Amino acid sequence: MILNSPMKKYMFKRILFSIFSLLVVVMLVMLLVFSLIERSVIFQQDDVWNKRNNNDRSMYEYAQYQKYGYLTYVDYSSFLREKYIGLYGDEYDKEADFIKDRSVIQKPDEYLNNETVQEFKAKYEAEGYVIKYLEPVKYKSGKQKPGGSGYLVAVQEKSVVLRLWDYVKGFFTVETTRSVDDPNLEDRYIHFEKDPYSGLFAVTGSGTTHKYLLYFDGHFPFIHQNFIHINLGTSFTTYRGQEITTVINTPTGGLDPVKQQYPNKIGTDEYVDTAIDFHSLTYNPNTTEAERELYSDNYTTASFRQKGLSMLETSFVIGIISIIIAYSVGLPLGILVARRKDKLADKLGNAYIIFIMSVPALAYIFLFAAIGTSLFNLPYKFANSTNKVLAYFLPVISLALPQIGSLMKWMRRYMIDQMNSDYVKFARAEGMSEKEIYRIHISKNALIYLVHGIPGAVLFCLTGAIMTERVYGVPGVGNLLTTAINKHDNGVIVACTVFYTSLSILAIILGDVLLAKYDPRISLSSEGGGGR
Amino acid sequence: MNENKKVPQSTEDMFRFIDSNSISSEKIVAPRYSYWKSVFRVFFRKKTNIFLIAAFVIMLLVAFIMPSFWIYDPNENVTNAATFNLNPKQAMAYFHDGTLKWILGTGALGNSIFYGIVASAKTSLLLAIICAAINMSIGIVLGAVWGYSKKLDAVMLVIYQIIANVPYILLISVLVYVIGSGFWSFIFALTVTGWLPIAYFFRTQVMVIRDREYSLASRCLGTPVRRVISKNILPFLTSVIVTLLATELPSYINMEVFLSYIGVGLSASVPSLGRMIQQGQTAFMTFPHAFWPPVAVAAAITIILYLLGQNLADASDPRTHM
Repeated sequence: MILNSPMKKYMFKRILFSIFSLLVVVMLVMLLVFSLIERSVIFQQDDVWNKRNNNDRSMYEYAQYQKYGYLTYVDYSSFLREKYIGLYGDEYDKEADFIKDRSVIQKPDEYLNNETVQEFKAKYEAEGYVIKYLEPVKYKSGKQKPGGSGYLVAVQEKSVVLRLWDYVKGFFTVETTRSVDDPNLEDRYIHFEKDPYSGLFAVTGSGTTHKYLLYFDGHFPFIHQNFIHINLGTSFTTYRGQEITTVINTPTGGLDPVKQQYPNKIGTDEYVDTAIDFHSLTYNPNTTEAERELYSDNYTTASFRQKGLSMLETSFVIGIISIIIAYSVGLPLGILVARRKDKLADKLGNAYIIFIMSVPALAYIFLFAAIGTSLFNLPYKFANSTNKVLAYFLPVISLALPQIGSLMKWMRRYMIDQMNSDYVKFARAEGMSEKEIYRIHISKNALIYLVHGIPGAVLFCLTGAIMTERVYGVPGVGNLLTTAINKHDNGVIVACTVFYTSLSILAIILGDVLLAKYDPRISLSSEGGGGR
Repeated sequence: MNENKKVPQSTEDMFRFIDSNSISSEKIVAPRYSYWKSVFRVFFRKKTNIFLIAAFVIMLLVAFIMPSFWIYDPNENVTNAATFNLNPKQAMAYFHDGTLKWILGTGALGNSIFYGIVASAKTSLLLAIICAAINMSIGIVLGAVWGYSKKLDAVMLVIYQIIANVPYILLISVLVYVIGSGFWSFIFALTVTGWLPIAYFFRTQVMVIRDREYSLASRCLGTPVRRVISKNILPFLTSVIVTLLATELPSYINMEVFLSYIGVGLSASVPSLGRMIQQGQTAFMTFPHAFWPPVAVAAAITIILYLLGQNLADASDPRTHM
């Protein structure tokens, strides 16, 4: 690293502060979504909830609330089961004591006298739970209403601090040889070996959740690792139960079978057409004998290889192309209009800038869509298009044109500021040609102000574009947050917040570093250089 | 003292000859400079500005007076399916009442698009003016103090970094969810943290001026802080404030359109351009007459506000007063 020591100290402080502010942001967002929004909204479109009645519905609510991270609860019946399994083993449910203890909660007048109930109550009240008794709901005739049986539960609301702690705890998972909890597995190791699928080497493990910990393949980003797993959050409604990192990274184009060999067939010439991605094998403790035969170990669960781009890749490809276009068109145009100040080119450029800056983004996106589809016959909806290359045109243009406008605006402004400075007059007096002055002096100094934004522009391609993706129906990540908000998918909301915040923190730090590298006069830390 | 009691005698040496030219040469003869007069002189020198002002006034008059005559009722034809999605020609032929009401056709529920746009323009303008007024005044006052006080700066920077990272769509959605999506709740949602970026921008501007020599001199002479801010720093930033206003005013209209599009906008009972655009966009290929007029009006309002603000900002920069 070229960073000197005060710089290192400065960066260290900054990163620490960034982590702190990230945590506070997550806590704030958790407060917003878990405390401010009435939690019962999650059942608005829930068919299961609609079908259940009375106490059954309440119990379903508890189960869902626990899943969504609002609270933890313990059902009396599961407590009972554990107690009696300990006493009598697997045949516990035939014991008279068990049946007596189980049925007592259907009798509101006497359940409190039962010893097991008292034990349950004492145990969980000591741990800070609140005991709730759901009385059996009956018709006047004494017959039980549907879903009306009685329940006894211990409920504990999750505090914000606890919720944040749970989130942070689950954020990183590091693979070790102790990751798999299976007493039958004795051979535990992590070592290098030749990877039969890529032909290169790979790091494999036994006792780890994943078989392949580091490997190469022909898919972006080509080097893959499973040592550290980052869990941004889990979706509850939109993508039932999936981790959001998996959702945005899985291609959506359907299965992609290729000629491959099962692990036990390696070395033979027996090939099969399968979409199984053998690099994604994970440990399955319930492996059958037949599977063991085929895979030659217990690593038998794998994901399928799919065609096409993932949500993240789609957004990134569109974003990065539009940025390349924007910078390679916007900057020269900015220089051009600055050189032709108050002439026709400048006036046209200004009119364009005013249009793009003031008109609602939605208006010009639709305007581009209308012009592109009617005049140039470009495909309108991304997903329905048969020509995959042409489909990128409209979204890329809709993203690039406003960026061109803003780059032009700032480039022109900084160029004009620099044009009147003394060093330019001096260069002119020295007899340098106008071309040289613009290229060597003015553009270089004007670019200083724009360098800071480049890392951010690249990184924010990863967040996608909300409006462009909606209008053209692009299957990208831009609308993750808005859909999550509409569906009260709290896990995704938190995940998006962490993702966006980390990107924006990283963008500013990288921007500062790039700026300091581009312009040596700028010093980030207060100790070095000329800053105060 | 004694000398004064003497009876004055008119002698030659009591008078001296003064050349009239030397008196006037002591005075600086310059036209009286008044800041705001010069601003308006420069502003009205440009002919386009007179046109823009006229357009702005007409826009305000139409948006604020006409809705009380042209009463917009989105559900008036909701039971009559024959009136749904009529283009201007069909609508004029169908209703045949010779008024302006159906000049732009009908929407998906037989509502008058023209009356809808006028009513929505009022909402959008009011929203922009109120939000800009609240955010700008809080932002400027707090930004001035924030930029001036170094102690406050450290604290405010932490708060800014944290709040700026809470996704604003989330914040607005949650607020709209909790306090409702009526007009005033929506304004609350847009202003509860909306002043912060303005204050941050303003803080940087104030910091630059704060350390200029003339401010230092004022401080050395013991001028109170309040006076330094109001007399030394704020007048210097007038053109910055007007530039900010020029981008802020249209931005709230754009924001409303955007939020309506993603589904967290104003409630259905408040007519708004964002909602009309959102409703029109689903079928913008088949019924373009329901989509483009509100888009065009939103674009016209934002362009007029932006240009007017930019030109006023140019005029309020004293360097253009030569």
